Amino acid sequence: MGVGKAHADSSDEQMSATVHADIALMQRVAAADQSALGELYDRYHRLLLGVAVNILRDPAEAEDTVHDVFVTVWKKAAEYQSHRGAPHSWIITLLRNRAIDRVRMRRRRGELLEHAAPADLPHEAGDDQIDAASNTELHEQAAGVRQAVARLPAEQREALHLAFFSGLTQTEIAERLQAPLGTVKARIRRGLLRLKDLIVLQP
Amino acid sequence: MSAPDEKFEELASLHAFGLLEGAERAEFEKQLESDAALRARYEALCATANALAFSAPAAETSRRLRDRVMASVASEAPGAASAPVAVAPIVRPNFTSWIAWGVAAALAVSIVGLGSLQLKLQRSLQIERDRNALREVERQQLANALETERILAAHQALALSTAQEKIAHLQQEADVAQLKISALASLLSDSPDAQAIAVWNPTQQKGVLTVSKLPALAADKDYQLWVVDPAYPNPVDGGVFTVDAETGEARIEFTPDQPINQVAKFAVSLERKGGVPKAEGPMVLLSL
Repeated sequence: MGVGKAHADSSDEQMSATVHADIALMQRVAAADQSALGELYDRYHRLLLGVAVNILRDPAEAEDTVHDVFVTVWKKAAEYQSHRGAPHSWIITLLRNRAIDRVRMRRRRGELLEHAAPADLPHEAGDDQIDAASNTELHEQAAGVRQAVARLPAEQREALHLAFFSGLTQTEIAERLQAPLGTVKARIRRGLLRLKDLIVLQP
Repeated sequence: MSAPDEKFEELASLHAFGLLEGAERAEFEKQLESDAALRARYEALCATANALAFSAPAAETSRRLRDRVMASVASEAPGAASAPVAVAPIVRPNFTSWIAWGVAAALAVSIVGLGSLQLKLQRSLQIERDRNALREVERQQLANALETERILAAHQALALSTAQEKIAHLQQEADVAQLKISALASLLSDSPDAQAIAVWNPTQQKGVLTVSKLPALAADKDYQLWVVDPAYPNPVDGGVFTVDAETGEARIEFTPDQPINQVAKFAVSLERKGGVPKAEGPMVLLSL
C-alpha cells in the first residue's frame, strides 16, 4: 500500500491525529508539494537532529545527515507504505540507517569507538531536556517514551540505547557491556518487548 | 512462550535495530516475506525501536539547514509542474487577411515549438543535474575508498615494521642463545690472577676476548689466541694481541683463520711478535 491508499487502511480509527496529518503530508510530498515537505521538516527536524547528534556526536555531520534524509523523503515519498508504520517511524529509520552508515565508515577509519561509551548516552532522560517534538501530541509521545524507557531495568535500557544509538554490532555491544552475546541478545529482546508494552500502556 | 516464538522475537528485535547480518538476516527477511502475521509483529517492534528516538535530547537546527533542504528539494523537484503549454491566439478567418493569418499560424507554431524546446531543455538540465549528482557520489565513494586504502596501507606498513623489529629481536635472542661463553684461567705461576672471558658466536664465526692482569709484554712478544676445535689436528689461530702495560687488560674482537665447527677450548700463548701459525711458546691462559 502506498501513500495514496493510506486513508483506506482499516486501522484508520486507531491512528492518531498526528499520524493522519503526517500521512496526508506524505501524500502531498509524493505529489511534489514543497510546502508539505517544509511542514514535515518543521515538525520533525529537531527530533531527527537530536537522534543524529546522539549517533554521530558531531553537530555538523548530524545536520548534513538530516539534510540528506529530507531530500530522500522528497525523492522517495511515493515509496512510503502507511500500513508498515507511521511516517515519522519511516523517516527515523531513514535517518538512523544513514547516520549509522556514517558511523561505521568513520569507525573503519578508527575514529569513533571511544565516543560511543554508554556513559555518554542519554540513559536518564530528564524533564529539562529540550522538547523533541513541536506539537502537543508529539510532545506527549516524547514524554511517554522517556517515562517508559526510564522504567526499564538499567541493563535492558543500556542494551537498547547501544543498539539504537551506537552503530555497534551485536558482538561489539557484548564486548562493550562485558556480557556474553546470548545475554545481550536476551536483554535487547526483553527490553524491546517491555518497552512496547509500556508505551502501549501509557495513558 | 514457545521456543520458536522466543527465537522469532529475538531475531525481530535484533533486526529492528539493524543488528542481524549475513545469512541470519537473509533467512529472517525471507521468513517475513512469506508470513504476513510475523511481518506485522516485526513492524510493531520496529515502531517501538524507532520510538527510542524520542528519548534523545532534541537539538536545535539553524535556519540555514531548512533553507538548504528546501533549496536541494527545489533543484530536484521530481514532480515539478511541466512547462506551460502555449496556446495559439484565435484569429477570425478573413479572406483579406491571409497574410495576418499566416503570420499568426507561424507564430503559434513557433510558440508551441519554443514550449517544446523549453521542456526538452528542462529535461536535459535535470538529466545533467542527476549525472552531476551521480558523479559527486562516485567521487565521494572514490575519495572514501582512497582514504580507506591509505589508512590500510599505513597500518600494513606499521605492521611490517613491527614484524621486522620483532624478527630482529628474535634473531638477537636466538643469537644470544647460541653464544658460547668461556672463562680462561691463568697458567702463570707469577700471575695467578690473570684471567679472560671469551664469547663466541658460532653463527657469525666471530668472538670477543676480554683479558685482565696479564703480564706486560716485551717489545718482541705478542699474546696469541687459539681456538681448539676437534675437527683440526692443531689449534686454530685466533689472532695476536697486546695488553695495557699497567693493567694487563685488553679487549679484542677475533675471527679465527679457519671455520670453527665446535669450540672445545680457548687458549692464549706467549709468542714472538706477529704470531706464529702453530703454537710454540708457553700457554698463559686456558679455558676451564
